[in-house]
Formats: sequence, C-alpha cells, structure tokens
Amino acid sequence: MAPYAFRLALQSLIREKWINLLSILTIASGLLVISVTLFAAYNIDAATRRLPEKFSMILYLEDNTPQDRLESIMTALRKKRAVSSVRFISKDEAIKELRGLLKNSNYVFEGLDENPLPDSIEVKLKKEAVTAEAVKKISEEAQTIKGIKEVDYGEKFLAAIHSVRSGVTTIGIVLIAIISAGIIFVCYSTVKILFYRRSDEIETFKLLGATKTFIRLPFLIEGGIIGASGGLATLLGVMMFYYIVIARLSAAIPLLSTLLFPRTVFLSLPLIGLFLGITGAAIAIGRLRY
Amino acid sequence: MTVDSSIMISFSTASKEYDNQTALRDITFMVEKGEMVFITGPSGSGKTTLLKLIYSAERPDSGHISVAGWDINNLKESTIPLLRRHIGVVFQDFRLLANRNIFDNVAMALRIRGAAEREIKTKVYESLKSVGLRHKSDSYPRNLSGGEQQRVVIARATVAEPNLLLADEPTGNLDADTAEGVMRIFKNINAKGTTIMIATHNKELYRNTGKKVIRLDSGNLVDVGKG
Ligand SMILES: Nc1ncnc2c1ncn2[C@@H]1O[C@H](COP(=O)(O)OP(=O)(O)OP(=O)(O)O)[C@@H](O)[C@H]1O
Ligand SMILES: [Mg+2]
Repeated sequence: MAPYAFRLALQSLIREKWINLLSILTIASGLLVISVTLFAAYNIDAATRRLPEKFSMILYLEDNTPQDRLESIMTALRKKRAVSSVRFISKDEAIKELRGLLKNSNYVFEGLDENPLPDSIEVKLKKEAVTAEAVKKISEEAQTIKGIKEVDYGEKFLAAIHSVRSGVTTIGIVLIAIISAGIIFVCYSTVKILFYRRSDEIETFKLLGATKTFIRLPFLIEGGIIGASGGLATLLGVMMFYYIVIARLSAAIPLLSTLLFPRTVFLSLPLIGLFLGITGAAIAIGRLRY
Repeated sequence: MTVDSSIMISFSTASKEYDNQTALRDITFMVEKGEMVFITGPSGSGKTTLLKLIYSAERPDSGHISVAGWDINNLKESTIPLLRRHIGVVFQDFRLLANRNIFDNVAMALRIRGAAEREIKTKVYESLKSVGLRHKSDSYPRNLSGGEQQRVVIARATVAEPNLLLADEPTGNLDADTAEGVMRIFKNINAKGTTIMIATHNKELYRNTGKKVIRLDSGNLVDVGKG
C-alpha cells in the first residue's frame, strides 16, 4: 500500500505542479524569515554570552589598610565559589593604567601632586556565575567586609545584557510561532484544494473498499513533500547566502567573519518543513466519513 | 447477526427514507450463498437503494440487515472497507475515474486491497479479456462507448473475485448479443461459488432461468418468484 500511496502522491504533485510549486515557494519564504530570525538570535546570544567573561568587579579599599588585613580579605574572597581570580591593584598601578588609557589627554593629570585613586582589588567571577542577581549578592557580601569602602560592579550593564537577550528570545519565539502557523496554513490550504479536486475519486475509492489510511496516506505524503521541498529550497538559499555573500564580503568587512552559522539548525530545515507539511495536510483531510 | 452460515444476505422489515420520502418499505428476503438473484421493478421502485443498503452506502432507517455475517445496522466505520472488499459492485452510474486509463481503473479494485503489482497485471489483463476489452487497456473512459464503459465496470467489479457481486442494471447500455455475453460471464462467476444479485428492467435476463426474482414496486416488495 505504501509504494502505491507514494505513486498517487507523485502523480498528484505532477498533475497539480503549479499549485504545488507556488506553495513550496511560499513555504520557503516563510522558512527563510525563520532562518534569518534564528541566525540573528543565535549571534546576539553568542555575542552577549561572551561578554561576561570580560566582566570583573572592583572593590575599593579604605586608605591605609594594613597588609595583614588585605591578605585576609583576599583569602576570604578566593574562598567564594563564584570567584575565579582575585588581584590586588595598588593606587600606583591604578594611576599608571589610567595614564596609559588617557595618554592623549594628559592634561587631566596636570596639577595633581597626590594620587587621588584608592587601592583596590579586582575580582573576576566564573562565567556561569555572572548573572545580575548573583553579582549583586556577592557585592553586598563584599560590602560588609571590614576595610572595603565601596564596590563597583556593572549592575546596569549586566541588566541591559540580560534584557537584550530575553527580548531577542521572546521576539524570536513569537515570530517563529506565527510563521510556523502560516506555513501549516499554506500546506493546509494546498492539500484542501487537492482533496476537493479529487473528492469524486475519493468517493469511488471508498465504495471500492479503500481504508482511511489508503485515502489519507497520499495526501500526507504530498503535504510532507511540499513542506520538505520548501525546507530544502530554504536550506539551499541560506547556504548560498552564507558561503557566497558572507564569505566574500568578510574579506572587506572583517566583522562579518565573526558571525556564527548554526549549521545543525539550518540542516534540519527540510525536516521542519516535512513536519509542518504533514501537520497541515492532516488538518486538511480532517475526519473521513463513510 | 446471521446464525445460519449458509445465508449471504438477509433483510428483515428493512425500510429506507430519503428526506421523509419512502424509498423502501418493510423489505424482507434472504439470499443464500452461491445463489443468483434478480431484482426487478419499474424505475424509481428502489432497486439501487436496496443494493446500496447491502454495501452500506446507505443505512436502513428501521428493520435489520445482515450481509456475509456482518450486522449492517451496527457496522463500525472501520469495518465498512472490509465489508466492501467482500463485494464487487457494478454501479448504475459506472463511477469510472475519468483521469485514469482503463487498466488503472480496473486495477484500483486490487490496489485498494493492497495486492502486489505483478499480481495486479495478470489479473487485470485477464479480467479485461473476459469482457473483450484487453485492447482498450490504455484508453481513457471518455474514449469508450457506453457499452464498453459498462464492461470495464464489470471487469473492475469481478477482478478481485469477491464473494458477492452486485450488478445494477449491468446490461442497460448493451445490445442483446453483448448482454448475453455479460450474462455468460456472470454465470461462470456464479458457477465458481460467487453470490450474485442483479438489478434490472430487462426481463430477458431472467426469463426461463429458474432463478429467484425479487419484484419491487414503489418501495414495496411485491413478490419473490422464479424467472
Ligand atoms: N440520494 C437520494 N436522495 C433522495 N431521493 C433519492 C435518492 N436516491 C434515490 N432516491 C429516490 O428513491 C426512490 C428509489 O430510487 P432508486 O434509485 O432506488 O430506484 P431504482 O429502482 O434504482 O430506479 P432506476 O430503475 O431508475 O435505476 C426514487 O423515488 C428516487 O427518486
Ligand atoms: Mg437504479
């Protein structure tokens, strides 16, 4: 039965080639929008994920903290689970770094006979610990340690990254949901049209003793092939775009070469199309009655 | 449920209405396995409706019907295809598939049953040969005469060797000689054990056959006699 169902599906695909081609292209455009969304979300996510690695927290010390007090603060910090490294930065080192950073605007330091910067401790956190809440908690704990005057951490920066990421995720999910529904609808309408065009034939099949599966299977296969072809067309388009356009342009625009290509996601496009196509077809056939 | 396993069809006070208009009223009769039975009566008397009740294209409004041991009144939807695979039907309106050639039209009866392609090939050609249309296998229904189309329908109804053959006006478009040929085919099939019911206006088909003849008039069973 299955081979014959494939034959019926192929016959219908050829017989109704224009309708089918049109829906394949429509599905491909929908999947293309999904792909672009995924591509953007994936890259934004990857970029913001790497940012916290560079994140550090600065603890400013009270003036003239004795050496043994300093040692005990540093050991206490190292013992914390979220901390990956702790470094003492003396006020002299700090001003040197600052001078280095501002070497084109040296006038800032003119007239300074005393170093205004305090001694400080730089604390780097483990990657997985860098979330807005965790950092806040650690900074509050640090603030209670005797000898620490002030804690500076990029609270706003972290919160901003977090909201960008969740924003991108939300928009991506909503967009993908809407377009997936659209693709299912395209497959639904196509199969519905094909089903109506063949309703006479289906009636005869039933009278000759065809089971529901015999009647349904060709339409499910056809819907699946339409969906998968749409996915395949999108995959080809995306690959061409990536390997030809991006690869060539990144010679001129180096930033492009840092873009990541979620290969497995894109390779599964035909499968996604297949699934959406079969779903649309199944809804279109609905419940058969004898 | 029919208890007696020698009974193919049994109607007991079965009635059928279309939009409150009675098409069949309190019909009671039995057909034994291996019998050849004729149904006759004027146009609109309910012959086609009676056959439709047997292959469950219509359901009775009252009374009871059983076919080949199946309780037609309480048939599950999923069982209907199984019932129909036991039955070959020569439809009065042919029901040929216009966009498929004659071979594929006849083959459909076997494909629906999941037969292998090689078996399909032998059986379809054999069946087409028996109705004298072997040479038309590549033609399309619209290019065949009415009588030729009718014979294709007969080939499709018999190709899967059903236990029960229902023929609705099978000689309606045939000249006397061809009709005689078709009757010969039916007699051969019947001789191999297939139960046959033929609905017809044509008295010539059952005259002097000694077969059971069910007479309908305006939905009533007038009598069950012998041809
Ligand atoms: N689907 C239907 N809807 C409504 N009425 C119907 C339907 N099918 C048949 N009828 C009516 O039921 C009655 C019996 O019809 P049926 O087709 O069984 O007659 P028949 O004996 O086969 O006639 P013929 O010899 O012309 O084929 C007729 O009055 C017909 O108009
Ligand atoms: Mg009739």
